[in-house]
Order: sequence, then C-alpha cells, then structure tokens
Amino acid sequence: MKFGLFYELSVPRPWTRESERTVYDNALAQVRLADELGFDQVWAVEHHFLEEYSHCPAPELFLTACAMTTARIRVGHGIIVCVPEFNHPIKIAERTAVLDILSGGRLEVGTGRSATWTELAGFGADPDSTKKSWDEFVRCLPRMWTQEKYAYDGEFWSMPSRTIIPKVYQRPHPPMWVAVTSPGTELDAADRGLGSLGLTFGQFAEQEKRIAEYRRRIQLCTPVGEFVNDQVSTVNFLYCHEDDATGQKRGRQMANAFNYLASQLSSVREVYPAKSYPSLGLLPQLRRQATGPDAGEQAGEGLALGGPERITRALKRWEAVGVDRVNFLLNAMEVIPQAEVLESLRLFAREVMPAFAETKAATAGAA
Amino acid sequence: MPLYGQLELAPIAARLARLRDLDTEAWSLPRAEILQLACEVGDETRDLLPRAMHPAVPPYATWVVVSYPESPIGPFKLAQLRLMGRAGAHPRGYVLGAIASTPAAVTALRERWGFPAELGAIAIRRYHDRVMAEVAREGQPILEAALVDPELISGADIQYIHSVTLATAPDGESTAPRLVQVDPHYVFHKAERGRPALGRFDRPAWNAACLSPLHPMSASFATCDTDLPRIRFVMDVELPVIQGTRRIR
Repeated sequence: MKFGLFYELSVPRPWTRESERTVYDNALAQVRLADELGFDQVWAVEHHFLEEYSHCPAPELFLTACAMTTARIRVGHGIIVCVPEFNHPIKIAERTAVLDILSGGRLEVGTGRSATWTELAGFGADPDSTKKSWDEFVRCLPRMWTQEKYAYDGEFWSMPSRTIIPKVYQRPHPPMWVAVTSPGTELDAADRGLGSLGLTFGQFAEQEKRIAEYRRRIQLCTPVGEFVNDQVSTVNFLYCHEDDATGQKRGRQMANAFNYLASQLSSVREVYPAKSYPSLGLLPQLRRQATGPDAGEQAGEGLALGGPERITRALKRWEAVGVDRVNFLLNAMEVIPQAEVLESLRLFAREVMPAFAETKAATAGAA
Repeated sequence: MPLYGQLELAPIAARLARLRDLDTEAWSLPRAEILQLACEVGDETRDLLPRAMHPAVPPYATWVVVSYPESPIGPFKLAQLRLMGRAGAHPRGYVLGAIASTPAAVTALRERWGFPAELGAIAIRRYHDRVMAEVAREGQPILEAALVDPELISGADIQYIHSVTLATAPDGESTAPRLVQVDPHYVFHKAERGRPALGRFDRPAWNAACLSPLHPMSASFATCDTDLPRIRFVMDVELPVIQGTRRIR
C-alpha cells in the first residue's frame, strides 16, 4: 500500500492578507517533509469559489512548487475539471506535459467534472453535459500527449491538425485517474482503464463491494490510454498521536471541521433537477458525520485518527478490501497547529509505515 | 466558520405567526401540484436570514407555489418565498413570506406550522409551453412565475429542501420566537423541469424588500403525494443550530 497527501487547501475566515499564504506555506512544508519521510504522492484538487472549503483553483501551480522542492514524491493533478468552460483540453494537455517535465516524470492526472452548482454556474457550464464532456476529454488527452500531430472534431471541442508541445516526460504517458464520489463512477473508471481516485470516507463493507466490481470490470475494459491503470485509491484523514485518545479527539475535530465545511457546498442536485447528477455524492455522509451520531470524539470506521496501532489496524483493513493507495487530508480550517501536523506525519512514518513496507516487500518476494 | 445570518428579530417579532403548541397533527396531502423556481440572489439577503443559519453559497431563493386538491380543511393553495441556507450542516429553506388561498388554510398554517401566511388569491395554469403561477394579495398581483418549455424528468431527479419557519412557539414554560422545521415527504407521480421565468415580484409583499433575483437556476413542476408532518425539531433563532436544536419527537 502506498500513502499520499491530499489537499483541498481550506482557509478559514477571517481572510487576511496572510491567511491564504500561510495555508499554502504550511502545505508546502508538509509536502517537503512527506517527501523526506517516504510518502509516495501529493494530490491537489481544482476547486473554484468554494469559500473556506477549498482555495485551490490552480493546483498545477501549487504542484509545480511541490515538485521543485522535493525529490521523489509524485504530484497528482486532480481532479482537473474536464468541462470546456473550465479548461480547454489543449491547455490541459500542455500544462500537464510541462508539469510532468518539471517534476521529472512524477505526474499523475486525475479527471472529473465538478459536482457543485457554485462552480458550474460560476463558469456558465451546463450540468447536463459534464459527463459527456469528461468522457470526450479523457479519450483525447492520451492522444494529445503521445501523437506528434493531433486533430480532433468532437461534440464539445475541435481543432485542426497541430503539434501539441511539449510532450509528457513519462512514457507512454502519466497514469490517469477518475474522481469517484457517487456510486457507479468507479465503473466508468474501470470501463476506460482508469484508476479509481476515491473521494469518500470509511465504510469497509460498501467499499469492498465497489472495489471488487471495479476489479472485475477493468479486466474487460477498452483503455482510453496506452495502458490500464488498475489501481484503487481512497482518501482519509490523518492525525497520528502517541496517545490514542488525544489522537482521536484532535483528529475528530479536524474531520468535523472538514465535514461541516463540505456540507455547506451547494451541490448541483440541490438546485438543478438532472439525471446527470443522480446522487449527492459524499455530501449526505459528511452531513451525517458533521452533526449526527458519528460526530463524537471517536474516530469513525476506517479513519486514520488516533494512536499508531489504531491507525495501522484501520489501514490494514483498507489494504485487505483491496485499496492500493490512501491519500490523507492533514488539516481543515487550520484547526491543528502546523507543528502538530508535522509531528503527526513523522510519527506515522516512524510507527505505521514500516508495517506496510513489510507487506510490500513480501508481495514483491512472492511475485 | 461559514457566515451566519444577520436577521434583527425585534422589527419583525410582532408579525410572527403564533403556534398553538408543538403537538401538531400531520396532514396527508395527496396529488399536490408543486411549481418551484430557484434563482440566485444578492449577498444583502443575509439581513433576512436568522442568526442560527448559514447563507447558501451562492445565496439563492426558491419560489414555491402548491395546489393541494385534498386536505383536512378542503382544497387550498399555498405560495411561499424561501431564502435558502444551511441549518448547521443541512440545507433548509427559511420561509420569508407565504400566501394561502383560504382563511382556514391561513389560520391552520400559522397556528400549526408557523408559516407567515396571509390571505390571497393563487392560480396555477398550464399552457402548451409553460406552467404559470400568479399570486395576488388584496387584489394586487404580487408574483408571476413560470416554468417555460417543460420536459419530463424522473421525480427522483428532484430534491425538495425542507423548510424552517420562524414563529412564536410555546416550549415548556416559555413562549418565544423559534425556528420550526417543516419536513414533508414526497411520493412523485410526475415531474417536469424547464426554464425559470420570474415576472412580477413585489418584494415587500413577501417580507423581502432587499431580495433581488439575479441569476436564474432552475424550475420544476411535479405532481406528488405529500404531507405537512408533525413537528420534529425546533431551534433557537439566535444560536447556531448545532447548539440550539431541540428534538420534539
């Protein structure tokens, strides 16, 4: 199992001149430490207008800063909103190629379509067509990265033959992923040979079923890229403390802050009746956890909050249900002081990671 | 933390509905027709939202006009203007103004669920290319709203957000302004969506002088079995609902 970081870059009010800079600086320091400690990847989302929840509209810039100050950690640009009003596909191909070059071939590309009215209406995008535009974009991207000349005539965009440069550094191209919040999207990922970048928390039993179906479907896929990225990633909170009770309590404060902010988002489905957004994604779960019976000080099922032993047990369960990677949210609204976040990372690397290094070595040996 | 509403209670306290008690019986309301329009509104609407609630991002309002062909008090119609927000983590529509079409409905809605209902005339008309609602009070039109170019959708595609009313309500030994959650159920028979068209909108008549419709969002029209349920939650109007909510049943 591989471990990574996952950034929404939440900035609490009141917003001062320095508050956003502090959040970015803290995140960069965390990434540098994570690189030294052996974390495998850092992901940054693309969100717009999501007050306090995410001040991360230009993840490629943040990730470039990450890449320039680290040596090994991979940089996950995701999700890139594959809706023409947000991002032109040529620009996606170009900027991801540059990031792959600058990072020395450490890029991972996550794709998605946005789920909030706040963002889609802000860009004047049509919620009814985002799934179709996403599908078109993910089929074009690998070709734009790899073909010397590229021309395209599609429903959402077209271009005459041009040489899209530069080309990605990795060969044949960076691994591609799909953001998965709503049940069923993991099958869209599987059918296209894309990795499942899960953005939901907890609940082993449900995830196990979904992962099993993903694994079955991806065996039958028609890949959109030049290789199949048969990997399942999930997101989790991380707060690791020597004292289990302290770790759970502090971690839960962070998780509750995140859930409360997320529950303020105006989903498409809340305001716009459309079959293209059949579920509320992770919002109902987060709302329950923000105010419901799960909102106590105890860590919920599968959350990496508490002492090293508890976290190791939770992550072993994730490994057993078939998760390949776990990406951690380290903070929300800066409720955990930076020094404690860094210490949590160090403790996790010292006490938890070795348990998974052994598994990795054993798996390699068996192969 | 997210922003909170900024409603000053004193200027509106005198006109609040007064609940008899919190033991309201549920009403079953079959075959209701519901026209709902949603539109983004300006940030100044924070002044209309109770301090217990967070404004939606972006701020938006819904205009909801309903025909109830059957009810314990006979057929009636109800039109509401709701400012959408969050009660803690949950989306809720705070009822700014309401018009009911019969005196019995006005009385029942005020005394049982705390709606700020006043008597008026309400019409819902279906044309070949639109569903239109007209509301008048004291003979003066105060709302014209339409769903244009209806297309059939599944009822499962519609998410109706629960309401909260602000009313003077008894609870234990005290009687005070409280937020009352009204959370109906819906079983859909037919649903359509279309383009929202808001014509006449007399803002003061809906207790919303500072509410300006800005960016149209959606319109839906549905036929469904619904209810006005027993009251389950009341909330302190000044405290964040996460601290000030009391479960009644």
